[in-house]
Amino acid sequence: MANESKKVLLVGDNPFHGISHLSQERARARSNEIEQVEYAANLVVTSLENGASGFMFSVSDTTLSILQKIREKIGNNHPALYGIVPYAYEYVRLATRLGTAGLVKKVAKQVTLSGNLRAIITGLHGIVRNDPKTLMKTYLISEVSRIKSSIGKQHNLDSMLLHEIITDMALALDLDWIFKSYIRFIGELGIKPGFETRNFAYLANKFKEWNLDFSEILIVAPFNKVGFQMNPSRAECERALAEVPESNVIAMSILAAGYLKLPEAIEYIENLSNIKGVVVGVSKEKHACETFRLLKERLDA
Amino acid sequence: MERLRVAVVGLGKMGLLHASILKVMPSVEVIALCEKSSLLLKFFRKLFKTTQVVDDVEKLADLNLDSVYVTTPIPVHFPVVKTLYLKKVTRNLFVEKTLASSWGKAKELCALAQSHGDVNMVGYMKRFAVTFRTAKSMLDQGTLGEITSFEAYAYSSDFSGINESSKTRASRGSVLDDLGSHVIDLALWFFGDLEVDSAVPESMVDGSCEDAVHFTLKKSGLEGQVNVSWCMDNYRLPDFELMIRGHKGIMKVNDDSLELKLNDGTSSTWYRQDLNDNVNFLLGEREYYREDEYFVKSILAGIKAEPSFETASKVDYVIDQVKRKVNNG
Repeated sequence: MANESKKVLLVGDNPFHGISHLSQERARARSNEIEQVEYAANLVVTSLENGASGFMFSVSDTTLSILQKIREKIGNNHPALYGIVPYAYEYVRLATRLGTAGLVKKVAKQVTLSGNLRAIITGLHGIVRNDPKTLMKTYLISEVSRIKSSIGKQHNLDSMLLHEIITDMALALDLDWIFKSYIRFIGELGIKPGFETRNFAYLANKFKEWNLDFSEILIVAPFNKVGFQMNPSRAECERALAEVPESNVIAMSILAAGYLKLPEAIEYIENLSNIKGVVVGVSKEKHACETFRLLKERLDA
Repeated sequence: MERLRVAVVGLGKMGLLHASILKVMPSVEVIALCEKSSLLLKFFRKLFKTTQVVDDVEKLADLNLDSVYVTTPIPVHFPVVKTLYLKKVTRNLFVEKTLASSWGKAKELCALAQSHGDVNMVGYMKRFAVTFRTAKSMLDQGTLGEITSFEAYAYSSDFSGINESSKTRASRGSVLDDLGSHVIDLALWFFGDLEVDSAVPESMVDGSCEDAVHFTLKKSGLEGQVNVSWCMDNYRLPDFELMIRGHKGIMKVNDDSLELKLNDGTSSTWYRQDLNDNVNFLLGEREYYREDEYFVKSILAGIKAEPSFETASKVDYVIDQVKRKVNNG
């Protein structure tokens, strides 16, 4: 049965980081313009003016600069903000260059240099006790503090999501405490905890097994007509979606990374139950206008 | 169902990735993890409360393991694999690419595997990408006819814009071991044994190690040009591509797509989305799940896995030949 309530329509930041899941060649061929802060901020603002209700972004220096620029452009008209941590690409690249131990040292230095006293004290406790839970908390404090300094103290984050690499690795390793601690800690900050995953069916089953409350969390996962990135299969993901007790799932990759046209992508989403909204990346102003006008007309009417 | 008792040695990003994928497989039980770094060791002992974490491969000897994954830096593969075989830790080994840091060492490991092992495999995961698999199947069916030439590249931005010489850069071996090995393996898989004809290196930093290498491979009637670099701009993820020319047409294949243009005027393009690319659990790329699933099934069935140590040692041979050409100017 189709869900007839209004959908959350988010503009995503993948194009701003040179990501195309259809083709790396296509991502490289895009003009460098897309990676410029001013251009990206204008695209987000155009999307917001044409029906998008918020912005979903990985927490990186680039997106934090984009957020600052958006704030300058739209003043007090606060869009919904959904941050994703960590910015996995940068950390994987650091691990490649420095090794895992080098990465850990680098992140510790980053937290110290952030000047956030709470993060530093919590971090020191974590290092002394060698406690992964406390170290995670330290990292999150420092990331929330970075975001706040870009969006302004009055403006809040709607949701903070754990990046799919961490979510899916923790799921696989059966580390339920990571999810429980994350939900508790982010919830205490007045932010909705969320999880990005490319294994939605597996996650839904695990969360039920661990008795996690779906109403307290947000999940972002691929949903599209061709089953792209819907593991283990489109049918399994649809079945799991129909069975989740709350409608707190945001669909990503609805265009299957540019493989599908927007009208057919929307038609598929319209007929899914339990979808709270969608996130779509845009790379051109015309694209931003057309995409969000149509999404609003069809999903947010 | 019988469950394989598995350990993973080396808890860098590849070790964590394989450990995670193995953990979701119903036919596998991850018994132990092994990591030398004292900083990581302490952290992982707290993180993995139900899995044993040890600091020495010899400590895996009493765990009655069916298989071990070796995901340490390349220069450490040789001593670790040797210990695992000689201490009889297991007879089934998976080693991340490349098999060893030289052809000589790779040959020694092949001999050890022959005398002390059963199923062995090296992690050339590109063979498990749907696009490259489809290309291999088309080439085997003769879609392009006789192959005459190819151009291949393996590019990343891992060290793009990094001016200082890095310890990790050296510990990862050369750009040939780290990045070039994938595309060399694909070329050997597609075309059979090849010899190195010429090689030109480039160093972007201080001359202490090559950051890019351009070399030619050939065999009777076939010549290929390969370009490898980890200092390219705008290669956010490592990217591998082959352009293959045959008597019947041209094929371009990379991680994302496969394009075929035949001399009769027909042309087709297949994207990953067209080629049934889903896996039971996706972490990193789908190829990792497929190669682990294949290796596990090979052990359970008691059959040879490919690329075996023997097959993968041919990549070490080509890399050695390229290095010789580079050193001999």
